[in-house]
Amino acid sequence: MSFRNLLLGAVFACATPALAAPTSSFTGATANLAPSDPAGQWTRQARDYANTRFSPLTQINQKNVGRLRIAWSFSDGQMYGHEGAPLVVGDTMYVVTPYPNIAYALDLSKAGAPIKWVYQPNPDPRAIGEACCDKVLRGWAYADGKLIYNLLDDHTVAVDADTGKEVWRVLLDDVSKGPTMTQAAFVVGNKVFVGSSGGELGTNGWFQALDVKDGHTIWKAFTNGPDEGALIGSDFKPYYPWMKGKDLGVSSWPGEMWKQGASAPWGWVSYDPDLNEIYYGTSNPGPRVPSQRPGLNLWSSSVFARDADSGQAKWAYQFTPHDEWDYDGVNENVLIDIPWRGGHRKVMVHFNRNGFAYTIDRATGEVLVAKPFGLQNWAKEIDLKTGMPVVNDAAHPIVEKKVENICPPDIGVKNWNPSAFSPRTGLLYAGVFNSCMDLTNHIVQYIPGATYDGMEMARHPGPGGNWGEFIAWDPVQGKRVWSVKENLYVWSGAVVTGSDLVFYGTMDGWFRAVDARSGKVLWSQKLGSGITAAPMTFLGPDKRQYVAVYAGVGGGAGVLRREKGFMPGGNTLYVFSVDGNGIGTGSNQLVSQAGAAAPVSVPPAAAHN
Amino acid sequence: MRKLVIGFLLAASPALAQVAPDTPNPLAGNADATEAGHVLFGKMNCAGCHAYDLTGGMGPDLTDASWLYGGKPGEIFHTIAEGTPRGMPAWKDKLAPDQIWQLVSYIQSKKAN
Repeated sequence: MSFRNLLLGAVFACATPALAAPTSSFTGATANLAPSDPAGQWTRQARDYANTRFSPLTQINQKNVGRLRIAWSFSDGQMYGHEGAPLVVGDTMYVVTPYPNIAYALDLSKAGAPIKWVYQPNPDPRAIGEACCDKVLRGWAYADGKLIYNLLDDHTVAVDADTGKEVWRVLLDDVSKGPTMTQAAFVVGNKVFVGSSGGELGTNGWFQALDVKDGHTIWKAFTNGPDEGALIGSDFKPYYPWMKGKDLGVSSWPGEMWKQGASAPWGWVSYDPDLNEIYYGTSNPGPRVPSQRPGLNLWSSSVFARDADSGQAKWAYQFTPHDEWDYDGVNENVLIDIPWRGGHRKVMVHFNRNGFAYTIDRATGEVLVAKPFGLQNWAKEIDLKTGMPVVNDAAHPIVEKKVENICPPDIGVKNWNPSAFSPRTGLLYAGVFNSCMDLTNHIVQYIPGATYDGMEMARHPGPGGNWGEFIAWDPVQGKRVWSVKENLYVWSGAVVTGSDLVFYGTMDGWFRAVDARSGKVLWSQKLGSGITAAPMTFLGPDKRQYVAVYAGVGGGAGVLRREKGFMPGGNTLYVFSVDGNGIGTGSNQLVSQAGAAAPVSVPPAAAHN
Repeated sequence: MRKLVIGFLLAASPALAQVAPDTPNPLAGNADATEAGHVLFGKMNCAGCHAYDLTGGMGPDLTDASWLYGGKPGEIFHTIAEGTPRGMPAWKDKLAPDQIWQLVSYIQSKKAN
């Protein structure tokens, strides 16, 4: 019996959540955990295609989690925001820094996990001035013996995972015009899926499938513009009528403004192996000032379902039509299967920046549930008959006039920070924001390579005074199950384990483990910087379970840089185990058996150049 | 003023003379120049990186006393005209010297000394 069947059996055995034993599901929701990697490995950012970030490991449990201590740590010397999760393949851990995107392989089989190899891609420094929200990288992928990731200057690279030698490098856009790449490459089979960044730079967003072998483009879909370039054809069957029609990516914009309409797919990708479909979201339309671009502005702030092989669009859904608040649609789509009105549905769960959590039938694009998961007042509701939000008149921005107390602000009720799903509890776990903005819009003109923005904002916390929370979410009922209040935005990813532990970090530097069922905090460790990265967990070569997370506050989280508790930047990966035990600890004299030195371009060596 | 700016953008700009770091702002003390710089700051999308209150974001804070490429008027002029290797675009092909000095005037009115 497979692991998945065991889970399904457990779910169906307990019909009444109210009478649930500690092992029962709150909702009956399950997930396909393909490709079902060995339990101790972590070879893609979200661990599985479905983007659950669920680890079946159970060595670290409710009883011993309070004894977690640092086993070893690693500083990479780069001070931009750290957002990705390390990968573990065999006895090697792979990390990639934010710009200048240096890759390190760390040898987990040796004391202190010394550097095995280093790869320096030397991206074009002009990219620094084109990346809107810090010079970040949200993750990297392992496939076919290669480490594959995006560079800020619009290259994708593949590096031999054993030697650190570059296998291929492809150039995908012109950074001098504004686009950058910060997205976490996502691999299925022979394809690497990558998307562009630049929602505030007047870019023309695109998404492509590259060949794992040599990086050549297999297919490329622009977000906006004519159907042909967007790979919208006869297969395209959006659920709602207002998204049907020819070349809506042109006609829903004034003139040719779609060409600078951004809608960049800079977030997460997920994949359903049964439907052979990939799912990803698109960013805000450009410019951020809505009065300059009357129309729906398709396909900004939307999600696409595409055939993984051809790239042809199957359906799309625009979360925030004519997005007036920079809410985007790039957050993760977590693929789960839920009981629904006596049957079952294959769905995706999407926490949108606009404050609504959507449960959407991923075969058809029908919205089944859309409920607020935090503070919002821009919409009264999402009308499930039409799929359209019912917008609150008081929330419309006005040029050169301050509109007060629009909730949430541009950065949303939750940003790109990825949630986790447990097939044991049937719940999702997410870091969320509690805040509003006073907004004044200014008309902007398009200047290639410069920002194309126009929103002047003052953000303030919502009721309670706390900027952030960490919540558990029921995707069937569309309601919270529990929440933990935090002082600042919770902008880290989450991981949930087979022992019902959820790990997340705070912007003021606390790394926590909480009970996935009750939300009770079971362990907290203060780290050297705020946490805006995704944690992960793995088994070392010593068959011991470790939990790892980067502390290096940055990225969009910088909007709170003047709030009490905001920490200095950092670049340290912390790796924890019970009592801090492992290959890298002991009372004897441990020595390093490193395979390489840090690059001389990295401090402190750089200071002596 | 706005029409003037747009008109200028459409025209080819003259080659820009080099400005020494110690060059004083020829528009110093001219309130109209400061206001014109304020308008340009919004018009040329400077606020997208440096924020409408100049406290920074994607680009550096312009209200503090820390200047990566020098905080003297001539140095600020040079930075705007030539750009920087860390991402500031070069504006010498889009703005006339007088307009750059107007921006310098506006920034000087906001920066700490």
